[in-house]
Amino acid sequence: MAKNDLMTRNLMLDSLRQYAKNRISFNLLREHDAKNEIPLDILKEMYDHDILGVHLLLIPEEYGGLGGQTTEIYRICEQLARIDLGIATGVFATFLGSDPLNVGGTPEQKAKWFTKIAQENKLVAYGATEADAGSDLVSLRTRAEHVVQNGRVVGYKITGSKMWISNGGVADIYTVLALAPGGPSWFIVERGTPGFTQDVHEDKHGIRLSNTAGLAFDEVYVPAENLIGLKEGQGFLQAQAVFGYTRLMVAAFGLGGGEEAVETALEYAGQRIQAGGPLSQKQGFMLKLITPHYIRFEAARAYIDWTAKQLEVNNHGLATEGAIAKLYATESGNKAAEDAIQAMGGFGYTKEFAVEKIKRDVKITCIYEGTSEVLEMTIFRGRWQEHLKSRGQYYINQAAEFDALHAQNPQVGADSVALGLRALARVLEDCRANKLTRHQYVTFMLGDLISEMEVAAVFVRQCANKIVTEGSRFDLATLCTMARINARQSAFKTASEGLRLVLGTCPAIDTAQVSQAVNLVAIEDKMRGLIDDMDTVSAKLRDIFKK
Amino acid sequence: MHIIVCIKQVPDSTQVKVDPKTGTLIRAGVPSILNPYDHFALEKALEIKAKTGAKVTVLSMGPQQAVAVLRLALALGADEGVLLSSRAFAGSDTWATAYALATAVKHIGSFDLVLCGQMAIDGDTAQTGPEMAYHLHIPQITFCESIDANGNTVVVKKLIEGGHQILQADLPVLVTMTMPHDYVAKYPSFMAAHKAQDKIIRTWTETDIGADPHKLGLEGSPTRVDRIFPPPTRAKGEVYSGSAVELANKFVEILKKERVIK
Repeated sequence: MAKNDLMTRNLMLDSLRQYAKNRISFNLLREHDAKNEIPLDILKEMYDHDILGVHLLLIPEEYGGLGGQTTEIYRICEQLARIDLGIATGVFATFLGSDPLNVGGTPEQKAKWFTKIAQENKLVAYGATEADAGSDLVSLRTRAEHVVQNGRVVGYKITGSKMWISNGGVADIYTVLALAPGGPSWFIVERGTPGFTQDVHEDKHGIRLSNTAGLAFDEVYVPAENLIGLKEGQGFLQAQAVFGYTRLMVAAFGLGGGEEAVETALEYAGQRIQAGGPLSQKQGFMLKLITPHYIRFEAARAYIDWTAKQLEVNNHGLATEGAIAKLYATESGNKAAEDAIQAMGGFGYTKEFAVEKIKRDVKITCIYEGTSEVLEMTIFRGRWQEHLKSRGQYYINQAAEFDALHAQNPQVGADSVALGLRALARVLEDCRANKLTRHQYVTFMLGDLISEMEVAAVFVRQCANKIVTEGSRFDLATLCTMARINARQSAFKTASEGLRLVLGTCPAIDTAQVSQAVNLVAIEDKMRGLIDDMDTVSAKLRDIFKK
Repeated sequence: MHIIVCIKQVPDSTQVKVDPKTGTLIRAGVPSILNPYDHFALEKALEIKAKTGAKVTVLSMGPQQAVAVLRLALALGADEGVLLSSRAFAGSDTWATAYALATAVKHIGSFDLVLCGQMAIDGDTAQTGPEMAYHLHIPQITFCESIDANGNTVVVKKLIEGGHQILQADLPVLVTMTMPHDYVAKYPSFMAAHKAQDKIIRTWTETDIGADPHKLGLEGSPTRVDRIFPPPTRAKGEVYSGSAVELANKFVEILKKERVIK
């Protein structure tokens, strides 16, 4: 059967939207949020083959699934996040839990477990995190001891505990990372296995519709055939192989959550009359609280989609790109939700409106699947290697591409991207020459600047190539205006923040010289017309979201 | 038994506004949907299919992107789709559209039942179905809320002023369906959406179906739209409460104030 085409993706998204519209009211969400209850019946319906069968997307076709491509899975994740991030997390945990199997399972293991998940609508949980092993999985304590019969390893006894496991209290099947004699390894453990217990549901700040619980293993016996890949010591490799992919999905969560919050605020602003007119007509309101977020969302969407298409070709990897997508989109979504409350004033601060809940929910996207700080470090490490290997030419070479794009299409901000990339290369080089990366803070901030510039670059390139990212509601002209605004601001942030870091850690450097080296004046000069451009985007937003 | 269901892609009217200055529809950012009446008619056809094993063909006329509603219909369970798409069809009013659709129905070949939605929510004319019956030279029953069919006849519940009629008709017949107020449209599961990719959708032009080009498009359309405008907004009414005497006094006071009485 053919891969799902765009029309099929849109059909799936429509079905999901309609299901949510008919079945998941805001009152239902609010009640479950207040009671800290997960709507298990909703999750079961979403898994029901005749209603939606969402989980089939992650299961290869040969095992009765839909063999979903990265693009449709991230788009479904975005839509799920717009419905509720707790429910989205419940669905995602099954995706995540199945990943070790997808990456490392033998054909027999895949056939057995995927068929079971597909046909029996099983909920899956991913058991990696421990009290002392979050992003730092090396500190893993849970152990898997050999059980030997007649000189042969017939099984394992797992002992230890896991914490903050999504679907932890409700899953049927668990993929569990444990330290076997041959190294960290993934095991499949079924609910009900003797010695395996689940803790109570955590009382969380947000995503309260998602079950989160600790797991305890007391000499839990699993047969040797439940060792994923039938080879010990592959656990970290299997976990890392999918980071690019799983982080892209959380990026889509940040995007979806943020969009839902700002759209709620914009709808309100169209009706809220203050000082003679609706808030949405007020320039200051729009430019401070609404418009910048839509620009970042479209930049994030372009980057997520671009990364998804790369992943479909490369299958796995792209850990740096996945980290960039997640850092950018989730931080943007989180800030957007914060401003959505501000935009709605007192109303936004009450539980009567969705933004208060979204703000609590979306915060998790900056934490799980790698905190923003771990991602900044990952991004820094990935690109620092490129900078060193290329003797400082990595971003300078890319800048040349944008010079050429600007010559073809001067309207998309490619000139600002070129300036920003050169400034970034210069800052990295100053950091290398003066050994400034001995400051951990500098590495975090560089990770952030790298993410800022790479997203701006992809957005501009997509616009220059006349690509309207699927799922975007804007026309190409508006997207070009957005890309141009974003490129200018990213270049400015890179140059000015870069200067702050270099001068802040290396007082001996001559200020005028570094400032000239990052070409700050030229970058500032690109700001001409910025506010007019932002007003143009605001007008478009009013047009699209007119009620 | 072969059922042909006529469907139309329409803008989601709950999100469409009329530009008061130009009189045109503001379509920017408005999603397209399957006309809800057609959606209902399709579901009824699929119920008959489930019971009798009938074949269901869906037929639409529109630009290439209208293929999306045919795909939705196939995902819901229809067997085949036909899209009439060509510049010659553009600008057709209900009469020319009905001619094109009827010509396509004849081209499809044998059929027993043609089902249409009562009307499309973008035009609200409710003319295309009845006009198709004319072009096909078959009887019609309009405004039906339910339908049951066997190999030879249909029994329908037709909505009339103040009540319903139960009618029976021999096949072939054309029936237009109207949905109950609490109707919730069905949408396909992910797997059904996936499988619909393998079903056939044919795209036909006026030449393929042997239609007379003079009877299509603007040339074949006797109707001219003079202008489109949003209804004038009425001033908000005021609501008063109180006892009968208080309200009567208040009413007199207002009539005096408005100089209706002295």
